[in-house]
Amino acid sequence: MSRLLIVLLSVMLSITAAHADHHIPNLGEKANEFKDDGKKAHKREGMSHAASLIMQRKMHPELLSHKRDKTLRQGVRGGYTQLQKCVDCHTSVDKNGEHIPVNAPDQFCSTCHEKVGVSLDCFSCHRTTPAEDM
Amino acid sequence: MSIIRYEQTQGKSLGFYALIAGLGAFVLAALGSVYFMEHNGHYVTGMSNRIVWGLPHVFALFLIVAASGALNIASIASVFNKKIYKPLSRLSGLVALALLAGGLMVLVLDLGRPDRLIIAMTEYNFESIFAWNIILYNGFFLIVGIYLWMMFERRMNKYSRKVGIAAFTWRLILTTGTGSIFGFLVARQAYDAVIMAPMFVVMSFAFGLAFFVLVLMASYKWTERALGDAIVNRLSNLLGVFVASVLYFVAVYHLGNLYLAENSGVENFILMDGGIYTQLFWYGQIILGGLLPLALLYSPATKGNRSMLGLASVLIILGGIAQLYVIIIGGQAYPMELFPGKEILVGYGSIAAYTPTLPELMLGLGGMAVALIAITYLIKFLPFLPESLADDVADPHHKS
Amino acid sequence: MKELNRREFIKNTTVATASVATVASGISLTTFAADPKESDPVTNEKRWGMLIDANKLSEVDIDDMVNACQEEQGWGGEVHSTGDQKSGWIKKVKVRDTATQRVSNLALMCQHCEEPPCVDVCPTNASMKREDGIVLVDKHRCIGCRYCMMACPYDARSFVHEDLTDQKEHMPRGKGTVESCTMCVHKVDKGEQPACAQAVSSDAVIFGDLLDPTSNIHQTLKNVQSTQIRADLNLNTGVRYSGI
Repeated sequence: MSRLLIVLLSVMLSITAAHADHHIPNLGEKANEFKDDGKKAHKREGMSHAASLIMQRKMHPELLSHKRDKTLRQGVRGGYTQLQKCVDCHTSVDKNGEHIPVNAPDQFCSTCHEKVGVSLDCFSCHRTTPAEDM
Repeated sequence: MSIIRYEQTQGKSLGFYALIAGLGAFVLAALGSVYFMEHNGHYVTGMSNRIVWGLPHVFALFLIVAASGALNIASIASVFNKKIYKPLSRLSGLVALALLAGGLMVLVLDLGRPDRLIIAMTEYNFESIFAWNIILYNGFFLIVGIYLWMMFERRMNKYSRKVGIAAFTWRLILTTGTGSIFGFLVARQAYDAVIMAPMFVVMSFAFGLAFFVLVLMASYKWTERALGDAIVNRLSNLLGVFVASVLYFVAVYHLGNLYLAENSGVENFILMDGGIYTQLFWYGQIILGGLLPLALLYSPATKGNRSMLGLASVLIILGGIAQLYVIIIGGQAYPMELFPGKEILVGYGSIAAYTPTLPELMLGLGGMAVALIAITYLIKFLPFLPESLADDVADPHHKS
Repeated sequence: MKELNRREFIKNTTVATASVATVASGISLTTFAADPKESDPVTNEKRWGMLIDANKLSEVDIDDMVNACQEEQGWGGEVHSTGDQKSGWIKKVKVRDTATQRVSNLALMCQHCEEPPCVDVCPTNASMKREDGIVLVDKHRCIGCRYCMMACPYDARSFVHEDLTDQKEHMPRGKGTVESCTMCVHKVDKGEQPACAQAVSSDAVIFGDLLDPTSNIHQTLKNVQSTQIRADLNLNTGVRYSGI
């Protein structure tokens, strides 16, 4: 009986410890400003903000794939979903004021992707920092 | 002809393990080369925007073409009912599958994005002969696998003829498809010829049988099993016929091209002033890969001599690689005729340069090594080889 | 009695929370302006084409075209690739007529054929033609087999032989995939001209809708002799040439 209790306690402890690893993703410069202004990014109609963020995390590959096929094959431009826009908000800036590539270790994408072990293929081709302003 | 008993090879000798280790070293070298090419990008190879398919593709296509030809022996037994080849059918199927696996491995590992191979299976363009080839290659594995099963499983033996006919038809379509990869390209002078499809079929006969003969003789020698002259001589004659047929098709292809004024450029290039390509064509493909083996196989001085047969087979293989080098790389090196009647001074039109690099060679050789390792190991794992192919056992006309 | 009260309590709280959540989510701040509207898919009512007049095109013009393309699309900066490995979306080509010795200069890029051989041979449908005639490579699907490069009659395509960085945001390009002239589709969709056409100030290069009877290119093609490169292949290219 006591052995069972010890097992149960250690399981509960490890679960808590795992969840306690709240590595808040490195949101990126513009995204952080947005958040600090109190605005709610990715907010969907009919859903709470928290639920919208969960949906965004889960669905971003599908949303992007769906849109990319429309853009590339059918020439549909604009709209909310654009990879360029993600990069614009979610890149961080280093101390020299240079943008850090968004897929670099410890940056926005990697913090989740490394944890869940999903490889990130977008940036072998796509630009990793916001577009230069002419 | 007595009942043929099949038996697995022992596979315990030092020689066996040394062979596996040696071939394994080549496979590891190939994997290392792939990592090197993949990690850095294709700039480390000799391939470029003008020569997009290089030495790896030469090896890959050679192995794939040889693979379908290696099935010939089994087909002749099942489809054309030549009893003497029946004991060899199992090995024939094995060699076919092993060569195809090796060839496909090289082809796939040279892709710019091999991690996206699944896309090639899920997003199909049925207008592309390349896509059709993918279906044909996968189907070949399936059909020959079933064919082997029919041959191994006694209860299934009665179906082996039907499956054999299906396999024979499939491999003809497959090799026609492989030749059509080039034959359908209207853009290039060297390729725009439908005869490439049947030419590839006949090439497969020669290359596949050469491989098969070498595997057969080596496996029987190294396992100290009896291999009678009845079988060996027949294979030798068959090989000679196939080599002669290849020479015929090559002659028709080039004569046809020469007749057409619009293709005279590439013909002059290959046949006369193409440097390495001309040398490979005449010395490699025609002499080494065609005329010399014919002499070895038919001349009274060397006919019936097994070492000479082995040498002839090796020469045929080398000649085949030379032939594919000339077709694939020579065909790309020669510039396309963008402006008929005009001379391009700047911007395009040069004979493209290509120097194969070591990673490319190691990848190609690795494919061969994979094929040979598969054969070496599987004949130990399953009873592919008859215990004896001595004349009194194998020859249906033997008078004891 | 106690259980009943507890049950009531739980039920009421749940209902209250749920309703607050529903109402609250409805009235929380809409953070973005209304999402930018998506444009409509392109149709085959337009067919984009280009007319290049070799008589009017100077060598400087062609150099400008090549530089403009490199600037706009971000190629040409490959460091490891050598010689023929370097990308070349648009090339200067100098042609001499063997009979008359007349020399023409022209710019050669993807011809955006109506029956593109590259599209026919691509095993994954990565090489594709849009409804409005622009031929593109879907690099998400490209497996880098280079068969389209074998098939292209104009040597228009390039393979990326090394890792790339600092791509233009509108032009993703990456190692192991094939690329070629996109007719500046990102500009064309905004109603602008391709960079190469813009780089030439004269009307040596005219870009427009081949199917629009009022367009400059349509009318010029009607009045001026023009040809397609390798016209015998019957590919009906979108890029036409005068003066060769």
